Amino acid sequence: MTAYIVRRLWQMLPTMLGVVLLVFFLFNWVGGDPAYVLAGKISNQEQIDNIRRQLGVDQPYWVQLGIFLKQIVTADFGASWSTNERVSHILLTRLGPSLTVLVPLLILSTLISIGLALAVAYVRGSLTDRMVMIVCTVGLSISILVYIIVFQYVFAYKLGWFPVQGWGDSFIQNLFVYALLPILIGLVVSIAPNLRLYRTFFLDEINQDYVRTARAKGVSENRIMWIHVLRNASIPIITFLMAELPGLLLGSFLIERFFSIPGIGREVILAVERSDFPVIKAITVYVAFATIATNLLADLTYKAVDPRVQLK
Amino acid sequence: MTNAMRACVDACRSASGTRRALLRTFGAALVSAALLALVALPARAADMTKVVRQVFPAAETGFDPAGVQDLYSATIEQAVFETLLTYDYLARPSKLVPLTAEALPDIADDGKTYTLHVRKGIYFIDDPAFKGKKRELTAADYAYSLKRLIDPKIRSPWAWLVEGKIVGLDEVAEAAKKSGKFDYDAKIAGLETPDRYTLRIRLKDTDYNLSYILAHEPTSAVAREVIEAYADAGGRAMANPVGTGAYRLTQWVRSSKIVLEANPGYRGFTWDFTSSDPADQKLIAEMKGKKMPQVGRVEVSIIEEDQARLLAFQGGELDLMDLGGPLAPNVLDGDKLKPEFAKKGVKLSRIVDPAIVYHYWNLQDPIVGGMSKDKIALRRAMALAYNVDEEVRIVRNGQAVEAEYPIPPGVVGHDPAYRSPVKHDVATANKLLDAFGYRKGADGWRNLPDGKPFTIRYASRPDSLGRQQDELWKKALDSIGVRMEVQKDKFPELLKLERQCKLMMRTASWIADWPDAENFMQLLYGPNTGQNNNACAKIPEYDRLYEQSLRMPPSPARDKLYHEMTKIIEAYAPWRLDLLTYRNMLVQPRIQGYRKHPILHNEWAYIDVAPKGGGAASAAAGKGAPD
Repeated sequence: MTAYIVRRLWQMLPTMLGVVLLVFFLFNWVGGDPAYVLAGKISNQEQIDNIRRQLGVDQPYWVQLGIFLKQIVTADFGASWSTNERVSHILLTRLGPSLTVLVPLLILSTLISIGLALAVAYVRGSLTDRMVMIVCTVGLSISILVYIIVFQYVFAYKLGWFPVQGWGDSFIQNLFVYALLPILIGLVVSIAPNLRLYRTFFLDEINQDYVRTARAKGVSENRIMWIHVLRNASIPIITFLMAELPGLLLGSFLIERFFSIPGIGREVILAVERSDFPVIKAITVYVAFATIATNLLADLTYKAVDPRVQLK
Repeated sequence: MTNAMRACVDACRSASGTRRALLRTFGAALVSAALLALVALPARAADMTKVVRQVFPAAETGFDPAGVQDLYSATIEQAVFETLLTYDYLARPSKLVPLTAEALPDIADDGKTYTLHVRKGIYFIDDPAFKGKKRELTAADYAYSLKRLIDPKIRSPWAWLVEGKIVGLDEVAEAAKKSGKFDYDAKIAGLETPDRYTLRIRLKDTDYNLSYILAHEPTSAVAREVIEAYADAGGRAMANPVGTGAYRLTQWVRSSKIVLEANPGYRGFTWDFTSSDPADQKLIAEMKGKKMPQVGRVEVSIIEEDQARLLAFQGGELDLMDLGGPLAPNVLDGDKLKPEFAKKGVKLSRIVDPAIVYHYWNLQDPIVGGMSKDKIALRRAMALAYNVDEEVRIVRNGQAVEAEYPIPPGVVGHDPAYRSPVKHDVATANKLLDAFGYRKGADGWRNLPDGKPFTIRYASRPDSLGRQQDELWKKALDSIGVRMEVQKDKFPELLKLERQCKLMMRTASWIADWPDAENFMQLLYGPNTGQNNNACAKIPEYDRLYEQSLRMPPSPARDKLYHEMTKIIEAYAPWRLDLLTYRNMLVQPRIQGYRKHPILHNEWAYIDVAPKGGGAASAAAGKGAPD
């Protein structure tokens, strides 16, 4: 197991290097020269050169790339070009609001989707199954933007059940006042596709011989579905969930923008709008690292869930 | 015991032996001390239960006057820091008045020497950087703040406010570039503080606009101790605004929420503004004689999305909101509020922004540039082909008006009677091109007079506004048989190409830094090429008149020069002057005394909140109101 983990960690290096090169060259190709924006509405070439020198963008590309690599190794991405705020502070302070919305959303969405998927898989082919599938298909065909606009208008403005937007000072207030509507919207958007996907996983298992055998042995339907089917369908579900986890780092920029939640997603958009390369670099690197790390975690979880899985 | 009392007691002990005399003198000292204390006491008019909630549509960046250039950071800065001068709240066009200065500057030596006296007894907000002592505002703070603008380490976007202007300042900046450290203690001949409260600024050349610069928030006073305590590696103290203004920053969740509370040490003032505008009389009656500021707390939310902003306002979560063009059709019927808003008592404060929107052609471009008659004809034909009215209706949702003069309303030098001869006229545009040899080829597009084909490259940003303008320009140039293609690029890249005179044509806008014509007329001054003369124009006649105008204070004679310069713009067509935009502020009924100021970024210190149940229809609109 240890040898496997070490080997996988080593394998991260070329992947990370690929990500670093991609981000670096993409930004330098399409990002534009930030000095002209930072210099203000009236500036001369000398001032622009001074800014470029201070930001280090006057250096040859290989030097800039070297600095980028050093920043990754030391986990110090410097300060934002537009606000001078330390990038580490940006990430730390914005992560909390994003997680306050996304962690409950991920947990609720997973539990509800699994429960509903098991139920409709159990009554597969019935009118209920078909109706649920039609609703899911319609639901996932609608953009999240529409859900946000409609829900914000109806539930927050018209009915006054939630604040239209905002973010408070305490975790409890944020979770139970400001995050509720964003979580609700997230659930509506995510349950439909998850339910369809999980239902497929369960149907694959329901048709297996071991289920027929269990039924023949007189095992209750509840036990068959919740223990046997769920456990065997859990590997693709874990794969899917692990792929979702790095998304927690990125936040949901649309939800965060519409509800004025000071999270990572909103910060990413701001950074792109401001050509704020240090922030873009840091977030991209961390998301890439989280993606690779959760892949490894998924593999380890397979082993825990199904002892037949061999890690090689 | 105050120093005055202690001195008095000592004096009495030595001078008089009688107990009665001592008591009498001691009593007098007590009364004097009490009076002194009363004078020194801040107004403390602000009521902490009076909360105003405003919204910004974009995030702030920080609160160092020398370090930030965005409007929203400046809005907060203007509440926390103070400039020497400011603007009268109601006077239109905007009129300078003293803020921390005792009076308007004494201008001598043909506009080359400015002397100002800082009012005594103004204190910075208490801060650990002052080590427990009260810190009085002095002239040296303003001198320090002006120096910071040109410190290369800070790379202030406002360096141009002082660069090349103040005697001896550029030399210190030059030395800093070599040594890597700006010497703030170096003696600068043009920036003197002969005593604690006097600031004398000597300029290299006549400049009647320095007073405006001294009312501009980048020149606000910061305390050196604060900057030295909190500055980051770039020399900026972005997160620790410590000023002398009416408000202090108490909470800042970056890009999300900013909370200000009334500065308990603020000296306050009595609301006593006058206006001859009938529309202001109700406001004056509401506010006259009140001790200001009344508002104890200001909460600013940053909401980028239009729908969320409007719903939050309608839901009573906001008191003040800049409507912006895209939302106008939801709220306005022309220039009036829709009945559903008017019925709730919502108020609209509408002004024409002190800004212009124009299209420019690069006069150094081989196709559209140059001063030969055929090139001028091409530019004028394109200017005539463009339908500004269509842009006002379609792109700006009716929240703009065609500009007639390069100096917008509300700016000194504006001429409301002036009418531009450049109007949408496709027939004349076609005749002009025909007359100067731009014949149509077999493909239906016009060629250059030498028969070579040509294409106009219109540069724009990849956003919805840019796309709409692309379409209008395409339509305009199609109507005169001129082939057009769109050059799309990100804003920083467009800016870079523009400064390098490498764009052919683009839309630009300029908002007043201060309300004087010079701030607009400098946009075509030849030596400003590579800075903000984005047409890269070098028109000797224009430059000569501009230089002449610099040496003149605002006057009919200066206005005459601006007329001549405007005629030059129309004749040579480096620009197509397009439009002026409206700013529509939505105000909840419970807010009293609000009127949008064209130059000031916030009005919090000048307004009040009606007591509960007060304000027209406050019950209807006050859902969620904290007071």
